[in-house]
Amino acid sequence: NNNPRYPWIRNNDHSKQIEISDWLTMEIKDFIKYISPSAEEIQARNNTVGRLRECITGMWPDAEVHCFGSFATDLYLPGSDIDMVVVSKARNNKYDNRSSLYQLSSYIRNNKLGINVETIAKAKVPIIKFVDPATKIHIDISFERTNGIKAAELIISWIKDTPGLRELVLIVKQFLAVRRLNVVHTGGLGGFATICLVRSFLKLHPRMATRSIDPLENLGVLLIEFFELYGYNFGYDNTVVAFDEDGDPYYVSKNSNAAFQNRNPFTLAIQDPHDKNNNISRGTFNLRDIKRAFGGAFELLVNKCYDMNQATYKERLGQSVLGDIIKYKGKQR
Amino acid sequence: CKQRRKFNFCTDCNSKTHSADRCPNIWRSYITLPQNKAHKFKYPADLIYCYNCAERGHYGDECLQQRVSKTPNINGSAFTGENLPRELR
Ligand SMILES: [Zn+2]
Ligand SMILES: [Zn+2]
Repeated sequence: NNNPRYPWIRNNDHSKQIEISDWLTMEIKDFIKYISPSAEEIQARNNTVGRLRECITGMWPDAEVHCFGSFATDLYLPGSDIDMVVVSKARNNKYDNRSSLYQLSSYIRNNKLGINVETIAKAKVPIIKFVDPATKIHIDISFERTNGIKAAELIISWIKDTPGLRELVLIVKQFLAVRRLNVVHTGGLGGFATICLVRSFLKLHPRMATRSIDPLENLGVLLIEFFELYGYNFGYDNTVVAFDEDGDPYYVSKNSNAAFQNRNPFTLAIQDPHDKNNNISRGTFNLRDIKRAFGGAFELLVNKCYDMNQATYKERLGQSVLGDIIKYKGKQR
Repeated sequence: CKQRRKFNFCTDCNSKTHSADRCPNIWRSYITLPQNKAHKFKYPADLIYCYNCAERGHYGDECLQQRVSKTPNINGSAFTGENLPRELR
């Protein structure tokens, strides 16, 4: 089958699976394999980061250059940005000023390290944005913000201790990206918030909490149940997704902390694992569309399961279960 | 060896909530791990939280408080005591 909208099913036919949720599990794995970067792509990204790091520390020997976000945690989709931050070794905020910002942006421009270089000085977090000439990947560089580095370390430890987290996060991220619901400044759900929702769901799931299933063998049903929880049942007006010092998830009522109260009660609240008084999904003001999208995904997936369950083998051939909720736009890989 | 066990949620597929061809058991089925000496299922006392009222000790499907979500839960969800392994219910 050659449907260009879901290329991951090419040469991977699972239509003979008796259980539709197994079919979906296999398609999730095929999709992840399809969107995972090749050895060359990984090398090219690493080269870009290494070259920039060398140039910046060459110019400022007392600076460190770190990556955070999806690049640092290996949760990136094809074409995702690279997020970098420059911090002073002494942690004295030496580079948190406009002259550093402009010095670095002219350096990048003059040495042709980036194209379309933009210097955004007036934002809450001043950044330099540009496109890497070699890979055409978008790069953002900020200064002296260490919370992204801390979050990346936490996410890496979560991926290690929660099988299935990486797989479900990649699917949900792609689902949100296709609908442009993944951009925080337009009210969408950011990467870290997405990871928090998936991890909380997985850890609190009765079958997972009792250790009675292997999540990697049950990704299909778990994906449907993720959409079921956050698209249908979750009490957003009242319930906060939280994590204790050990990273174990729990829920707490919004009433218990002023930091989570809002004029509009229908808002997503996720307690910052590093700061109990901070709601990391504060910027996600478009919860209505996100909840509706999750609910719609649940409906489409279960209806597809019912249809495929009744279909003949001939009707099933070349069908995609995942393709009802996820399209792959962009270059064929 | 793996066991496949159907989620035993709707006991009667001719019930009023759905017809047999739209039974959640069609997709809500898990490949379960075998429980033995080396691998015991664990009662998740500190991981039972209610998605509706946020209290500890019961799942959202069994919540006695008024439902917060305006989207109905007709067939039940994954977050019910019924979804614990039989040995732990
Ligand atoms: Zn039924
Ligand atoms: Zn409750």
